[in-house]
Amino acid sequence: MTGDEAHRIAAELLYREALFLDERRWDEWLALYDAHPEFWVPAWRTDDTPTADTSTEVSLLYIASHLELAERIARVRSGKSAASSSLPRTAHIVSNVLAEMEGDAIVARSVITTQIFNIPRREQHIAITRCEHRLAAVGDGWRIKRKKMLLLNDYIPTMMDFYTI
Amino acid sequence: MKPIDIEKMIDDRPNDGIFRVHADIFRNEDLCELELKHIFEGNWVFVGLECQVAKPDDFFTTYIGRQPVIVARDSGGKINAFLNACRHRGAMVCQAAAGTRKHFVCPYHGWAYDSGGRNVSIPALAEGAYPPAFAKEDHNLRPVARFGNYRGFLFASLNADVLPLEDHLGEARTFIDLVVDQGEDGLEIVPGTVNYTFNANWKLQIENSADSYHFVPTHLSYIQLLGQRKTAEAAQRPSYLSNFREVDARRGSFTFAHGHNVLWGANDNPESRPLYRDIESVKRRVGEMKTKWMFYTRNLLIFPNLQLLENASLQIRVNRPLGAGKTEITTYCIAPKGESREARTLRIRQYEEFFNPSGLATPDDTVIFESCHAGQQSDLVDWQQGYMRGLGAGDPAISPEAVELGVTPVASISSSAGICDETLFHGPLREWRARLTRALGGAPT
Repeated sequence: MTGDEAHRIAAELLYREALFLDERRWDEWLALYDAHPEFWVPAWRTDDTPTADTSTEVSLLYIASHLELAERIARVRSGKSAASSSLPRTAHIVSNVLAEMEGDAIVARSVITTQIFNIPRREQHIAITRCEHRLAAVGDGWRIKRKKMLLLNDYIPTMMDFYTI
Repeated sequence: MKPIDIEKMIDDRPNDGIFRVHADIFRNEDLCELELKHIFEGNWVFVGLECQVAKPDDFFTTYIGRQPVIVARDSGGKINAFLNACRHRGAMVCQAAAGTRKHFVCPYHGWAYDSGGRNVSIPALAEGAYPPAFAKEDHNLRPVARFGNYRGFLFASLNADVLPLEDHLGEARTFIDLVVDQGEDGLEIVPGTVNYTFNANWKLQIENSADSYHFVPTHLSYIQLLGQRKTAEAAQRPSYLSNFREVDARRGSFTFAHGHNVLWGANDNPESRPLYRDIESVKRRVGEMKTKWMFYTRNLLIFPNLQLLENASLQIRVNRPLGAGKTEITTYCIAPKGESREARTLRIRQYEEFFNPSGLATPDDTVIFESCHAGQQSDLVDWQQGYMRGLGAGDPAISPEAVELGVTPVASISSSAGICDETLFHGPLREWRARLTRALGGAPT
């Protein structure tokens, strides 16, 4: 596969993921993920060094199964979580996409800033992330095997969840 | 603005079966100013753990109320805390969160201090034509007025007129011991910093952790989700809440002097805890009774800013008011040194899932705090009614659990879960009132 082809596939998948999150199309969003995905927001060890080992260090968010991603969606839909009941309006802005092949996988690096409007508070903030998607070929398409989001502004206003980052 | 009458903020008449709290204590900025000055900057507060400054010249920076401080181990091995403000023009001499430095050099004019805070250089001192009075001034970084270390928990006070630290902590120390003694070699912090804020008053957080009444309604989505985890995949992530049955759990509390309290609950799912893998060696070291208590859920408040929580996982949670309606939270995942990698990973997953601002429990609390803060602006509902559950149960006698632990708290309650006692909130509020009354020149009640 050429670099151009990898870039086209990665960019389209990243844009599609952003669209599904922003339009709250949770099932379609989840369908972009591999059956055994990793969804990871490292924490920071120091001002300059993020955590690197999810087994021995705290992450800001670490989900390593399809089941737990589905649980997050069920929680949003349950109507029984105050944090998930007044969902913010979001716009995930995907930029600086660079993709390359690593063996059979496409690895895409990007910058994603999520603009988050908190409706009851009438306030907005931004989550700034440098992302790395690892895409695996599944059947005739590509799925997200791993998404790592390095949150640059880790002074978190109230809460974060899979749809705010 | 008329002077604030602290006594009128709390309607405290236990003999009449009344305890009400005025919404001003959660919303009034002038009151928050008094809290910062006299509670956070006027008495003992938790600043960090000894393991954050394990070696000579290690340091970390933090805040006491509004005031930036450095906690550092000097080259001789002694831990000190001093204001992070150059004596020349007040610039912070260190911007980093943590690290190892023999010297702190002010970036403005180059005044330098050693890791004990002592001034070691004033550039061009001899050529400076300083008057004789200058040499008589103390040029060292200003140490905090009192600094103490209880079993690796570091506390500081900017006011010298306070109780000795051990007296301030009193018997609440028993519950610090129940954490420190879990490992043969003490505690360590699991790397990874978590900081968040919420737009509500700090006291909502310290009350929330002592509040068993909120647990089911607030965290219902989480409880139901755990109940549905039946697959092999999910079984790799046990939780003490996995077979949560509200009615069965025995619960209780301790109110200690100086505003500290503990909410505890029996745990019929001890094997879900990472420590369970070492339970036999823990028993040999501390005995059956203390081991049992290590597996109980225990939410400890050391008034005003330290919460040492062991429920879904083990957490240190530190609160700092940024205003009446804004609070900063810093949390640490702590663990016995030397636990197995498998136990450590389970601990971290349980911690993230429950405690993180991205977790399945904490966000429901913090979002509701903000809802409380909005509602508490209503003048027509100025008296809060959330302090009376349990008040009709009569005088809280010394509970069997207090006898078991060998403590003599101000109050101790032991009951089935349904009472969801709220009198536990009274202790911190009475301490709050006593401290502010004393600071404003009144007689403490």
